[in-house]
Amino acid sequence: MAIIHEGLLGEMQYIAKPFEQNHIKDLFKKDDMLMQEIAFNLIYGNNEKVDELTKTALDQGYSANDVLDDGLISGMAIVGIKFRDNIIFVPEVLIAARAMKAGMAHIEPILSASGVEPMGMVIMGTVKGDLHDIGKNLCIMMLRGAGFVVEDLGVDTKPDEFMDAALEFKAQVVGMSALLTTTMPNMGRTIEFFEENGIREEFKMIIGGAPVTQEFAEDMGADGYGKDAMACVDLVKEMVRAK
Amino acid sequence: MAEMEKMNSHDRVLAALSGGKVDRTPVCNPTNIATVELMDLVDAPFPEANRNPELNASLAATGYTELGFDSISPYFSIIQESSALGCEMQWEQKDNWPTVRMSKPIWDTPEDVKIPPGFLEHQDTSTIIRSIEILAQSFKKEVAIVGKTMGPWTLAYHVFGVEKFLLMSIDDPEMTKRALDKLKEISVIFGEAQIGAGADVLTFPDHATGDLVSGEYYKRFLLELHQEMAERLNVPLILHICGYTLDRLDSIGQSGMASFHFDSKNDPAEAVKIADGKIGLVGNINNPVTLYSKGPEEVRNEVIKCLDAGVDMIAPECAIPLATRLENLMEIPKAVREWTERN
Repeated sequence: MAIIHEGLLGEMQYIAKPFEQNHIKDLFKKDDMLMQEIAFNLIYGNNEKVDELTKTALDQGYSANDVLDDGLISGMAIVGIKFRDNIIFVPEVLIAARAMKAGMAHIEPILSASGVEPMGMVIMGTVKGDLHDIGKNLCIMMLRGAGFVVEDLGVDTKPDEFMDAALEFKAQVVGMSALLTTTMPNMGRTIEFFEENGIREEFKMIIGGAPVTQEFAEDMGADGYGKDAMACVDLVKEMVRAK
Repeated sequence: MAEMEKMNSHDRVLAALSGGKVDRTPVCNPTNIATVELMDLVDAPFPEANRNPELNASLAATGYTELGFDSISPYFSIIQESSALGCEMQWEQKDNWPTVRMSKPIWDTPEDVKIPPGFLEHQDTSTIIRSIEILAQSFKKEVAIVGKTMGPWTLAYHVFGVEKFLLMSIDDPEMTKRALDKLKEISVIFGEAQIGAGADVLTFPDHATGDLVSGEYYKRFLLELHQEMAERLNVPLILHICGYTLDRLDSIGQSGMASFHFDSKNDPAEAVKIADGKIGLVGNINNPVTLYSKGPEEVRNEVIKCLDAGVDMIAPECAIPLATRLENLMEIPKAVREWTERN
């Protein structure tokens, strides 16, 4: 039995798809109660507990990578599925992300010092003229929760700001978000700007946001579209593999 | 319906909102239908048309005079009260919406919520009030004048910031309720001022959308509050919530609001079934795909789908993209008239 924590076992009722059940069980295959305790507390946003347990794990000799993979990322994987399937909503994701951050405060310095390669480098921003950021922020939380390094460009991001950041941070993926129908075309304009500057092929460019569709993404010349934060993580993984 | 005496637009909308008989289904716009083309037509561009009562009234009237809708809605955006409360604004240009800079919230706790002196005299609230006066005098109950007052949930996003407010809702539900309770007085003050100016109806946007929060949230935080709003504001209210809402529509049906303006993410037939006559429905022609990027035929198909489902008033699902073509908007009343003749 991969999952030994009673609370986490209860969480399996929310994982409907058999292949996802297997994936989640696989994430917890080490049968480690402390890691599962971290994951469970992350799912319910108990940031103080995650902070305390992460520190305990590191003090006990767990590697930063193991705590990240077996505790924090595994917990976030369940959060992502529950969010996608409308079992939880944005406030519940926000507290889980806050708990993740509490754990990462202990993990990040160790990983940085050890030079461990992240899953990939992503830059992400809301496009020019648009000040809405909750969707973008959720994507960033989920991506960080999945082990990516993400540079947040904020809102009202102009095409040249996307380009400068993509070059500066050597991004593999450029993510753009929009909520307003009036600003959606700025995604296409940003892609055109990359083309005009001869760097379009160096980056995978993806888009998302409440009014955005797959059809619109294709019209704009984007490499991909994610309908929600969970889909964004899957898309970025696919984009990084394809690079 | 065809044998009924012809009603004017005002009476048609008001009758539909009270559940009465209508000569045909009204075409209503609880949210904005002004476009860049209409701004050019009457020389009333954004952002000025949001801040000048004469320009505002002139642009709003085109919904009736040029497009043939049964209502006129002069509040084009969702920011007028928040600007008057002191939120930092990005006014943008003709082709984009003015927006509150929500990353720079003005308040931290419910105790900070204070309605500034002169709130109704601020340029951005008084523009709407004066515009309604102009429209009411010009049209004299010929067309329904639909004002708008933002609900406390939406105001909370603006004044506290979206993430901070949503975190508050989990960390301290009682504090959240106190904040909503104080913010609702802003909704009432601005709503009453618009009613006094001549608004026949008020749209009440309160974005507790399925894209952000659960249906349970609506019951926990908003249902009683909306019931209170329906009691205190003495015109029919149209509740507007974007996104998926079928999971909370049963609760919304208990709000006492006259109608619910719903998004195209919800199937109209299913919405009519859940609403079950407890609340009227207005909607839900898709904006970004159908109205913005398709043609009149696709618009017509969606209108017919809503009419066949029994939706009480036909409308775009939310404020339309500003570059929407007029022929697509004009197709909505045209399709309704033709459907009525056939049925």
